[in-house]
Amino acid sequence: MEQVINEIDKRQMVINMGPQHPSTHGVLRLEVVLEGEIVNEVRPNIGYLHRCFEKYAEEVGDYSKVIPYTDRMDYVSAMNQEHGYVVAVERMLEIEVPERVEYIRVIVAELQRIASHLLGIGAFGLDLGAFTPFLYCFIEREKVLDIFEKTTGARLLYNYMAPGGLMRDVHEDFKSDTAEFVKTFRPKIKELNDLLSYNKIFIDRTANVGVLPVKVALNYGASGPVLRGSGMEWDLRKNDPYSIYDRFDFEIPVGKGELGTLGDCWDRYIVRVREMEQSLRIIEQALDGLPEEGDVFEGIPKRVRPKAGEIYTRTETPRGELGYYIISDKSGGPFRVKARAPSFVHLSLLPSISKGAMIADLVAIVGSIDIVLGEVDR
Amino acid sequence: MQNVIKEGWLTFKSIFIGMGVTMRHLFSPSVTELYPEEKIELPKGVRAKLYVNIDDCIGCNLCARACPVNCIDIETVMATSDVDLGKTSTGNPKRFWLTRFNIDMAKCMYCDLCVPPCPTDCIYMVPEYEYSEFDRTNLVYHFSNLQPAMVAEVKEKAEKEAEEKRRKKEEEKKKKEEEKKKKEMQAKNELADNSDEKNDSSKPEKGD
Repeated sequence: MEQVINEIDKRQMVINMGPQHPSTHGVLRLEVVLEGEIVNEVRPNIGYLHRCFEKYAEEVGDYSKVIPYTDRMDYVSAMNQEHGYVVAVERMLEIEVPERVEYIRVIVAELQRIASHLLGIGAFGLDLGAFTPFLYCFIEREKVLDIFEKTTGARLLYNYMAPGGLMRDVHEDFKSDTAEFVKTFRPKIKELNDLLSYNKIFIDRTANVGVLPVKVALNYGASGPVLRGSGMEWDLRKNDPYSIYDRFDFEIPVGKGELGTLGDCWDRYIVRVREMEQSLRIIEQALDGLPEEGDVFEGIPKRVRPKAGEIYTRTETPRGELGYYIISDKSGGPFRVKARAPSFVHLSLLPSISKGAMIADLVAIVGSIDIVLGEVDR
Repeated sequence: MQNVIKEGWLTFKSIFIGMGVTMRHLFSPSVTELYPEEKIELPKGVRAKLYVNIDDCIGCNLCARACPVNCIDIETVMATSDVDLGKTSTGNPKRFWLTRFNIDMAKCMYCDLCVPPCPTDCIYMVPEYEYSEFDRTNLVYHFSNLQPAMVAEVKEKAEKEAEEKRRKKEEEKKKKEEEKKKKEMQAKNELADNSDEKNDSSKPEKGD
């Protein structure tokens, strides 16, 4: 009998986490090899949300018809996805974008960053059993979505940016609405810190868990809050400015290992919280600089036909470096579009940082890298 | 031991801080909308349902070409010369009968790309969102206001006219060809005349 028990203890067990698991942020299946409660190996299985984005972009034969599909890649931060694609097409066309358009784009992109981080943080708390912060985050996110709804007409998938301009002008009260949101949102960050960030239970669940050393992060090609959480100061808005980000004064928050080891889940989490404050700063400056007059449609070219060639443009989305590699063959549509999705890279990090963790901590690690499966599978 | 007490105290403290926050939220106004009973007013220009003002449509097919998912299906028939379809409210002359203008809202992705190309601004989004159906085919909206009998009549007429035109064209073509042949014959005859100037009597014969 004793021998049998010993044999059982030695045996490994494979458990499927997902695709319907509530804390896998979409449809992700993790094949987890367990030894008791300790995770020996994690094998992510993806492809449940594959929608042939890249093939579609080749087939459609029109640059602007691809934009609604970029929205659907990372549906949590659609504005940032559009922004990257539009910047890439504009660089291919070599056109100037009107000042007002650039300012509006920056404001909506930063608002979207806040909305996306709010969802990421809220869902992270929810995974760890903190239900209330999730609801409070959604109250704030709702305000951002309301601004977007008034401006673009849609709440989630906007199709707002066009090469050289915008699909429509902002609504009348855009400036006052956004200023009001910035004013009311600052105290909410403090509230969130009280409720979640410095909660002892939360710290115990996240500090020293899923440690990602900066070297590993760089080797895997991590970017965004995941890389910054490991202490690397790298933000494409500062290091490789696109649009008009070089005009704004903001800092890059990095993880410092305040409550545990450098690069643990708490560091990645707190980077997101601090990034929201920086986004507020950018929005305030952009609202001051936003030109009152200006036509958002005048820069849109009649025909989008770039010269033959190729381009790689990278932009900073809430999840990290989003790159678009576009090849043009002089026709009206792209010959090839490749999207370099940050979530995909971060998901490939998962096996290396979750080895030896408890299965309950695996949930925390998946939540802390904040992936969106729509972007992983595309 | 000391550590355990400290940890316990910190946990206790953070619970109380958290409770304080939730307490404050308890007395703040509720943000929930009880949807079926309460309905919020949608902002102007919200994208919820496509609508076509068919009286203003000129059948140019630009919206169908702009659609990324091909949810707009248009069939037009050229108006015959005896009917005047009038003008749109924007002053564009209408030249086509719209025998079919279907929009499949089950396919539509609400991207708004069909709205800007319209020359008469007759296709646009309306803030109506309660139109779910049990049967998917009911989500295909038919905007054409022509009755089936009318459609058949119009098509027949158009076909007849087209055929007549074709016949006329063919006749013209034939005429032209005949003229061409005649001219060629003449040219040949002239050439023949030049080579054989002596034969004067043959001239009037060849002139026919």
